[in-house]
Amino acid sequence: MAVRQETAVRDSVTPLGATGPAPGPGGVWRRLRTRPAALASGGVLAVLVAAALAAPLLTALAGQDPYAYHGDLVDSARGGAPHGAFGGASGAHWLGVEPGTGRDLFALLLHGARVSLLVAAGATLLQVVVGLAVGLTAALGGRWADRLLSRVTDVMVALPMLVLAIALTTVVPGDFPRPLLLVLVMGLLGWGGVSRVVRARTMALRGLDFVAAARLGGSGRLRVARRELLPSLAAPVLTYAAILLPSNIVLEASLSFLGIGVKPPTPSWGQLLSTATTWYRADPAYVLLPSGLLFVTVLAFTVLGDAVRAALDPREASRLRVGTRGERAERPLEGGESVHVGTRLAGSGAKSADTGTRLPRTGAESPVPHEEKAP
Amino acid sequence: MNALLSGARFTAKRLVGAALVLLVLSVALYSLFYLLPGDPARLACGERCDPSQVAQVRERLGLDEPVHAQYAHFLQGLFTGRDYSAGTSVRHCAAPCLGLSHQNDQPVSTLIVEGFPATLSLAVGAMTLCLLLGVGTGLLSALRRGGITERVLTVLTLAGTGTPVFLLGLLLLMVVCAYLRWLPFPSYVPLAEDPEQWAWNMLLPWLTLGLFESAKYARLTRASTLEVLAEDHIRTFRAYGVGERAVVARHALRGALPPVIALGALDLGTMLGGAMITESLFGLPGLGRLLIGSVRDVDLPVVVGVVLVIGTAVVVANAVADVLHALADRRVLPS
Amino acid sequence: MRVLPRDRRPALPRAAATASVTLALLGGAVACAGPQDDGSGGGDGKPAEGGTLTVLNSDAQSDFDPARLYTSGGGNVPSLVFRTLTTRNRADGAKGTEVVPDLATGLGKPSEGAKVWTYELKPGLKYEDGSPITSADVKYGVERSFAAELSGGPPYLRDWLIGGDRYEGPFGKGKKELDSIETPDDRTIVFRLKKGVGDFPYVATQTQFAPVPKAKDTGTDYEKHPLSSGPYRVVKNTNDGERLQLARNKHWSAKTDSERKAYPDTVDVRSGLDPAVINQRLSTSSSADAKAVTTDTNLGPAELARVGSDKELKERVGVGHFGYTNYLAFNPDVKPFDDPAVRKAVAYAIDRASVVNAVGGSSLAEPATTFLPNQKAFGYTPYDHFPAGRGGDPDKAREVLAKAGHRNGITLTLTHSTEDGETGPKIAAAVQQSLKKAGIRVRLEGLENNAYDEKRWDAEDAPGLYLSRWGADWPAGYPFLAPIFDGRQIVANGANFNHAKLDDPAVNKEFDDVQQLTDLDAAAKRWGALDSRIGEQALSVPLFHPVYQRLVGKDVKNVVISDWTGVLDVSQVAVR
Repeated sequence: MAVRQETAVRDSVTPLGATGPAPGPGGVWRRLRTRPAALASGGVLAVLVAAALAAPLLTALAGQDPYAYHGDLVDSARGGAPHGAFGGASGAHWLGVEPGTGRDLFALLLHGARVSLLVAAGATLLQVVVGLAVGLTAALGGRWADRLLSRVTDVMVALPMLVLAIALTTVVPGDFPRPLLLVLVMGLLGWGGVSRVVRARTMALRGLDFVAAARLGGSGRLRVARRELLPSLAAPVLTYAAILLPSNIVLEASLSFLGIGVKPPTPSWGQLLSTATTWYRADPAYVLLPSGLLFVTVLAFTVLGDAVRAALDPREASRLRVGTRGERAERPLEGGESVHVGTRLAGSGAKSADTGTRLPRTGAESPVPHEEKAP
Repeated sequence: MNALLSGARFTAKRLVGAALVLLVLSVALYSLFYLLPGDPARLACGERCDPSQVAQVRERLGLDEPVHAQYAHFLQGLFTGRDYSAGTSVRHCAAPCLGLSHQNDQPVSTLIVEGFPATLSLAVGAMTLCLLLGVGTGLLSALRRGGITERVLTVLTLAGTGTPVFLLGLLLLMVVCAYLRWLPFPSYVPLAEDPEQWAWNMLLPWLTLGLFESAKYARLTRASTLEVLAEDHIRTFRAYGVGERAVVARHALRGALPPVIALGALDLGTMLGGAMITESLFGLPGLGRLLIGSVRDVDLPVVVGVVLVIGTAVVVANAVADVLHALADRRVLPS
Repeated sequence: MRVLPRDRRPALPRAAATASVTLALLGGAVACAGPQDDGSGGGDGKPAEGGTLTVLNSDAQSDFDPARLYTSGGGNVPSLVFRTLTTRNRADGAKGTEVVPDLATGLGKPSEGAKVWTYELKPGLKYEDGSPITSADVKYGVERSFAAELSGGPPYLRDWLIGGDRYEGPFGKGKKELDSIETPDDRTIVFRLKKGVGDFPYVATQTQFAPVPKAKDTGTDYEKHPLSSGPYRVVKNTNDGERLQLARNKHWSAKTDSERKAYPDTVDVRSGLDPAVINQRLSTSSSADAKAVTTDTNLGPAELARVGSDKELKERVGVGHFGYTNYLAFNPDVKPFDDPAVRKAVAYAIDRASVVNAVGGSSLAEPATTFLPNQKAFGYTPYDHFPAGRGGDPDKAREVLAKAGHRNGITLTLTHSTEDGETGPKIAAAVQQSLKKAGIRVRLEGLENNAYDEKRWDAEDAPGLYLSRWGADWPAGYPFLAPIFDGRQIVANGANFNHAKLDDPAVNKEFDDVQQLTDLDAAAKRWGALDSRIGEQALSVPLFHPVYQRLVGKDVKNVVISDWTGVLDVSQVAVR
C-alpha cells in the first residue's frame, strides 16, 4: 500500500530521536537561559502572576477595593465618564477609575488578572487532562475504542464551541460560580486538539523500541502508559498547552463580549474589555489598560511557549552537536527553533476566538490518515 | 494510482463515519436543548399570550410531543420531506427538509441558503488574506531572520492574535472609516449584485479575521520552512551549488507549504461555520449570527440545521486537508 | 404594557448600548433621536421630497406581519407600510401622546357605556395594487391575529372582544368569523366589547387594525410581501427582515393621510449591526450614512461622553422619553418580603444615583419614585412615600429594619438577568452596593435571560426580589398599571406580571371604573391617584425612567420625537 509506504518514508525523515524521551529539566533550562526574549517574557509573566496572586494585598496597599463605588469621581451627565484627565488618574487611583461606577481601575485590573489567568490556566489544564485521557485510551484501548473516541474527537473539533458554551451556561443554576463554569465549559469543549496530538504521538511511540521492549517485558498497558509513554508525551503536550493558554485568555474575553463570561461585580479582563471598547475616544485609558495587559500577556505566553517548545525539542540537542551547514552554523542556537512535524501541526490546535470552534488539525501529526497507519 | 485509490476509499469511509457522527450530534443537540430553559412555544407566541394560546402554538409546532417523537419527525423530514400549515394553505418542504424555524416559520434551508453567501464571502477572503500575510511573514522570518520587515510583520501578526477580535474589528473600523476616512463603513453587498462593491465592503471584515488568524500561519510557515531547509535533500541541493533563491522557491517552499495548506483547508471549514463576532461587527448576514440568534431563541430546528451544515463543512474540510497534505507532501519526498 | 414582548436580543450583547431598550419589538421599534429643538437635524431649509433614507438597526425586523407585530402606536417602520384605524399624533413631546384618526374619519364613536365602538373609513382609501380598502379587510386583519400561526400580538382584543377568548382565528376548524366585529357596509366597522373601554382608540393604533384583504392572505408567508396601505411598499425583504427595502406606494395619497409625511422616495432598513458601529456610522456620517437614522439604538454612555464635547454632534442628538419604568419587584410570598418593613427598608436604602450611573448617567436615566412614568398622559402624580434622596437614606433603613427585629441587618437575594441591559448584572451590582450601606447584604443570582424571564413571570416560583421593568403599550394609565396590580390578571400557568400578586377588591374595582371613562383626562387623574395609593404598600421600588438619546446622520431633517415612542418618527424624516 502506497499510503503506508509513505508513512514509513516520512517517519524516516523525522529523526527517531524526536520521539524519544524529552530532555531533562536541566537541559531545557540551560537552553532557555540563552534566549533573551524568552527570559524577558518569563520575567513579565512572573511579575504578572505574582501581582495577580498578591492582588488583595496590593490593592489594600493602594488603599483600594475593587468593589467600592465612587459615584463622586464620575460625571453622571457625561455618561459616567471619569472626572479629570487620563481616566481620572490621581494619587488615590493610580490608573484612574472605571466609568459609570468609579471603581478603582488598578484594583479591577489586578483582580481581573486573577480571574482571567485562573480561568485560562484552569481551562488549559482541564483540556490537557481530558485530552490526554481520551488520546491515550484511543491509542492503547483497541480498535473499537479508537474508532469511537476518534469520532467523538471529530465532533468536539467540528462543533461550534460558542453554541455549546451558550447552551451550557444556560442550563446551570444561576448561583454556580461563573469562573468555574467558564473553566468547565472551555475545558470540556476544547480538548479535541490535545487528544489528537496525544493519540497520534502515542501511536507513533508504541511501535518504537523502548516501548515495545517494555511491553515485551511484560508491563501492562497502564504501566506502559505511565512509565514509558507519559514522559515522552510531555514535550508535545506541553508545547500544545503553551499554545492553548494564550488563546484561552483571548477566548475568555470573547465569551465575555458574547455575554457568557464573568459577570459584574466580579472583574475579569474580558469583561472589562467588552464594556471598554466603546470608550476608546471618551476615555482611552479605560480601553488601553486592559487591552494592553491582555496583549502583553498573550505575547509573553506565546514567545515563552515557542522557546519552551524549542528547548524541549530533543533534536535541538542533536542539531547543536551535529551542527548545520552554511550560515546557520554561525547561529547555532537559532537553528533550534525548528520544530518537528508533530509539534508544528499541533500549533493548529489553537481555537479561534471568533469562530469559536476549535481549529481542527489533520487527523494525526502525519498527513496520512490514522486508520491506514495503525499497525 | 494506488495511493489515489486508497485515498479515495479512505475519504469515502471517513465521510460515512462523519455522517454517523453528525446524526449522533443532532441527537445530542435535541437532548441538550430539551434541558434548556426557555419554552420555545412561549417564545414563539409572545409574552402576552395566555396559556391556551401557548398550548395551540405548542401543538402547531409539534412541541407537545415527546422529544423522541420530535426527533423522529425531524429525521422523517430529512429523508422524505414534510408538510406544514401556513394557515391559509399547506406547504410542502421537500427532502432533505431541515424543518421550519419555530420563531418565524421560515424553512430552515431558506435561512441557511440566505446566510451562506455572506459567510462564504467572509471565509474565503479572510483565509486568502490570512495565508498571504501569514505565509509571507513566516517565510520572511525563516529566511532573513532579524530583519526589520520581519520584526514589524511578526509584531503585526502577533498583535492581531493577541487582540480579541471584537476589539480588533472595532478599532479597524474606527481608524479606517471614522478617523482616516479611507473607506466608508462597510455594508454587505452580495457578490452577485455588484462584485466591486462587494470586495470593497468585505475588505475590513477580511482584514479583521485574516489578521486575527494569521500569526498561527506565520509560526507554522516559519517552523516548517526552517525544518525543510535543514533536511538532507536541501543540503544536498545546496552542496550541488543550486542557488539559494532556487532552493527556497523550488524546494523549501514546496516542502514547507503542505502543513500550511492542510491547516488552511481546516480553518476554512471552520470559518464556513460563521464567525459570529466579525459578522456582527460588520453587519454581515451570515450563518454565525443566524446560529447564535437561534440558540438564544431556543429555535431548535435552526440550531440543528446550521450545526449540521457547519459540521459537514468541517468534516469535508478535514478530509480535503488530509488528501491535500498527502498529495502535496509526496512531491517533495524522494521517490 | 410591556414592552418587549419577545425580548429579541441582537446577535450580540451590546456591550455599548446600555440603555438599549429594544422597543423594536414593538414592531418596529421605536427608536431614535433627533435634535431637541425644532427637529431639524442637519442641513438648512425646508424638508423636501426625494432621496433614500437609510435606517441602521441592531435588531432585524423579523416579524413583518401586521398580526404578529407587537407595537406601541403602530410601530415605526411598520407604520410606513400599515395604516390603522387610528394612529399616534406625529408631533414632538407631549402633543405626540395624543391619538388621532388614520384610516377612520374619527377616533371612533363609543356607545352603550363605551362597550360598542363604531368607526367609519375615509373614502378613497387604496392598497398598493389600487384595490379599495374595505371595512371587511380591517375585520379580517383583526381576526387573523387570533390564529396560532400568527401569534405574537398584544392581548387586549382577546380580552375585550365578545367571544375573543374562545376564537381561534379564520384558519382553524372552528368558527371562521368573529361575530363581535360587524361590518354593516364597506366603510363601517363596529366592535362589541365585554366591558366599557375608554382607551379603545389607543388600541386601534396597533397593527392588528391594519386592513388585510382575505384574497391576498398567504398566512405565514404574508410578511414577505404584505399589501401596503401606507406610503411605502415592501420591495424586498431579505434574511428574515434583516434588510427591508421600501419604495413609494403610488396609490397612497397624502390627502387621506395627514400624519405621515413620507419625504424620502425610498427607505433602506439594514439591521443586524453592532450598536457601537451604528453610533459610529451616524456620527461619522460619510456617504449614505449622512442620510441615516436608527430606530432601535441609543447612544451608550461612552458615546454620550464624547458627544458632550462636540458641538456639531450634540446638535444631531435627539432626546426622547418613552413611558417606561425600571423597578425592584418584591414577591411577598417569599420571606422576608412578606414583611412590609423589609420592603420599606429597601426603598429607603436605595441609592438611585448609583443605579442611574450604572445605566449610563443622568443623561440616560431619570430617578423614579413613582411606578407610573413621569408624563402627564399616564396621569403622573408625583409621590415619594419612602424618601431616599439622591444617595439613599441608610440610617432610616436601619431604623426600620431594627424595629422589625433585624438589628444586625439582613441578607437578601436579588435575581437578575445575566444579559447586559436594564435588568442586567451592572444594575444589580449597583443595587447591591447601595443597600450595603444600610446593612442589607445582597446575594446576586444571575440567570440567563430566558431562564430569568421564565422564572420571574412564574406565579408559583417567582424569586423574592428581582429587577424588572415595564413599558407603555400606549400612553395611559391602564396598560401600565393593570397587568401589574389588577388581581384578576394574575396568571396561574403563563406569564404573570403581577409580581406582588396583589388582589385587592377595592383596587380591582377602581380598574373597572376608570377603564370605562371616555374622558381620558379624568381617567388620567384617577390612574395617578391609584398609583400613589398602591405605592404606599412598597410592593416595588421604582428605580429609574430611561431617557433615549439618539443620533441622526448629518443630512437628516425634520426630526420629530413624541413622548409616545420617545424616538424619532421615521415617517416624518426628510433627507433633502
